[in-house]
Amino acid sequence: MDILTFLLPTVPLLSAVIVTLLSDGPRRRVARTSIGFSVLTLLIAATALAMYLSNPRPVPVSFGINWGTLYLDPLACIMALAVAGISMVVHVYSARYMAEESGYARFFLLLDLMTASILLMVTAGDLITLLVAWHLIGVLLYFLLGHDTRRQAAQRYAFWTLFTYRLGDLPLILAAVLLYQAYDTLSLPLLFERISAAPDVATTFGLPLTSTVALLIALAAFARSAQFPLHTWLPYSMEGPTPVSALMHAGIVNAGGFIINRFAPLLVHAGEVLHLVFAVGLMTAILGSVLMLIQNDIKKALGYSTMGQMGFMFVECGVGAFSLAIYHLIAHGLFKGTLFLGAGGVIGNARKHDGVPPDDVYTFVIERKPIASRMPWVAAAVITVVAPLVVLGVSHWLVGGDFVSRQGAVILLFFGWVTGAQLIFATYRVRAESPWRLMAMIVLSLVIVVAGYTVVAHSFDLFLYPDRALSESIFEAASIPLATFEIIVAILTLAIVVGWLATYYSSANGGADGKNPSGLRLALYSLISREFYVADVYTWLTQAVFGISQRLNVWLRWA
Amino acid sequence: MILTIAALFLPLFPLSMVQNLILSRIRAPFARGALVLLWPQIGVTILQTQQPEIPAFIETWALLSAAFYAVRLLTVRDLAIWAGLFASSAVALTWGLVMQGVDETTLRLFALWFSLPAALLILLTEPISKRLGAAYAGLFAGLVERQPRLALVLTAVMLCAVATPPFPGFFALLNLMLGLDSPGVFGVLGIWLVWSWAAIRLVQGFVTGDGREISAADLGRGGALVYYAVLAVFVVAGLQFTGGNL
Repeated sequence: MDILTFLLPTVPLLSAVIVTLLSDGPRRRVARTSIGFSVLTLLIAATALAMYLSNPRPVPVSFGINWGTLYLDPLACIMALAVAGISMVVHVYSARYMAEESGYARFFLLLDLMTASILLMVTAGDLITLLVAWHLIGVLLYFLLGHDTRRQAAQRYAFWTLFTYRLGDLPLILAAVLLYQAYDTLSLPLLFERISAAPDVATTFGLPLTSTVALLIALAAFARSAQFPLHTWLPYSMEGPTPVSALMHAGIVNAGGFIINRFAPLLVHAGEVLHLVFAVGLMTAILGSVLMLIQNDIKKALGYSTMGQMGFMFVECGVGAFSLAIYHLIAHGLFKGTLFLGAGGVIGNARKHDGVPPDDVYTFVIERKPIASRMPWVAAAVITVVAPLVVLGVSHWLVGGDFVSRQGAVILLFFGWVTGAQLIFATYRVRAESPWRLMAMIVLSLVIVVAGYTVVAHSFDLFLYPDRALSESIFEAASIPLATFEIIVAILTLAIVVGWLATYYSSANGGADGKNPSGLRLALYSLISREFYVADVYTWLTQAVFGISQRLNVWLRWA
Repeated sequence: MILTIAALFLPLFPLSMVQNLILSRIRAPFARGALVLLWPQIGVTILQTQQPEIPAFIETWALLSAAFYAVRLLTVRDLAIWAGLFASSAVALTWGLVMQGVDETTLRLFALWFSLPAALLILLTEPISKRLGAAYAGLFAGLVERQPRLALVLTAVMLCAVATPPFPGFFALLNLMLGLDSPGVFGVLGIWLVWSWAAIRLVQGFVTGDGREISAADLGRGGALVYYAVLAVFVVAGLQFTGGNL
């Protein structure tokens, strides 16, 4: 186990060294070497996980100095496997995708270094190692995103990403300094033990240390996972090569969820920070989804979709469902990576297709097919509201009957209900020969997906947090007064149900087609299309700083 | 008086302007590099031999001075001036360690971890000027297309300067911050962020672009290896003397 822990970040690092030595040789040899090492890394990660499952006892591996400790606990094992898997797929895809690009060997070198850094981050057993890996990921991502050095846009947005990442590095460093000053250790397991023993330490300003550090960690996570208003870099990072987009959206951007899970024993003592995480996550999820809807570029739409998904991941953390956030980030990583790597194919198909939707009269008269129809809107509305509620409620009750007592679980079920209902609503909008049959198939699919997800999520929680007391205390820390909670849930439910009913009614009566949009709608549209002016504010601030710098230099004659 | 002389060599604004004025008068890159390397060591020697009483406000002054030069770096395009102002910003932080009462070796090493990359940047102005006419960012962009070795050396030295791990500056800054109070840590973090910002702006001005206007030959393999060897020794020494003791 020790040797595997050591090999996890070392093998991709070795690959980077060999790729550098081979860089003057044939491209195929470079790619094959790098892919070979990435497969080896995946095998090591899988073996490490299997060995942990057979003997669940995490052992820190040290290099003999105060830092440089590696630590394979359940979180590190599962993250290492996910990262190694995604990295291997990206390596294989890049071998052909990047074949015509300049800097082929440099690209594989950077991919290997990035894989090594992420694996170092997930296996870090002390604060310094974590900071080193955290910092390196930002720098390497800059070089990967700006791989095409001739494109100005790629360079500009690579810089945006680096700056946001560096901004996110600072709170994590400050958190590490405060933790070291208070608890006199760099080792993470030892640190968490000492925090549990004495959580009520105060900082220089008299603030509670655990809450202050938890807030700093949350800020670092916000920057790294593109939470509002630190999100502007994410959609524009599409200017980088597609394999980098896949790696970033499938792995790197999830670092926020990882770091929150890593510091779970600390966040247990900072319920108010979890509430902030929930609020920021919710706002990001909503804004990311809204911005995704107005994009006409598939890659940018995927970028905003990732922003929304990251928001949901933080919502999960905010309600105390830490393990679910990890499950979410891995699932999201897999499907988003697939979407990115398939984006080129989708664009190719769209170019071949004429884009003309099938006409009802044509299909009825020429193709002699019955005209497609919809089911009655009242029936669809009732199924929309009731079916997901029943499916989610029953499946969770079967796995763990006491879930209703956890506020976090109720909120997640609430979101599950909204998502399920949204799926059924989308079905209503599809015209079909047999709408009732289509609805039945969709509800059946929902049952299978929800049941499968519930079982996997439950097992995942038991694996990641074998200490049930810690898992329960996270949920407890994230909870709010019951009366407030119930009022919020009631208001949200009412708003969503009324919204659905209004949309169904509007859709059944022809919608807003052909009518002039109101001034308010136009104002809202322009606000969204300018992406809430966040990037404009940053540009203005940047120009102001440059102006000050320039004036100072001129006054002091560059001395 | 002793303190003023020390503040001249461990540069605090406005005394730091003296070093930058002298640098602008010297033409030979080696002499400039040597000056950047030795200047702060003289300051450390003065402090260690004379042991003056240091008032508490010096730490704040040093942070403000370092921040002042960091902000100014953002709009500097000349590599030699950039290196000089960077040295003024980074070496000023040595006062943070002076206030913590650390030993002489730690002080000397801290100054070295930042003055050496600044000196290397100054040395790099010569090969760049020979090839492009001037070591001025944005004048001829696209070094990586036509002169990849030179571009890589410049990028690596710049990463070393702005305290990217595993270069020793990273561990030196962590070591400094572990002994500072929270406002001091905030200050150092802000300065570090601005260094990164300024460094990327400068590197982009040299390295990226189509490189069509550049026709001169690349840096020789031997020359590049010398720079890499210095950086490798620097990393090992940093891990040995600063990183390993954290």
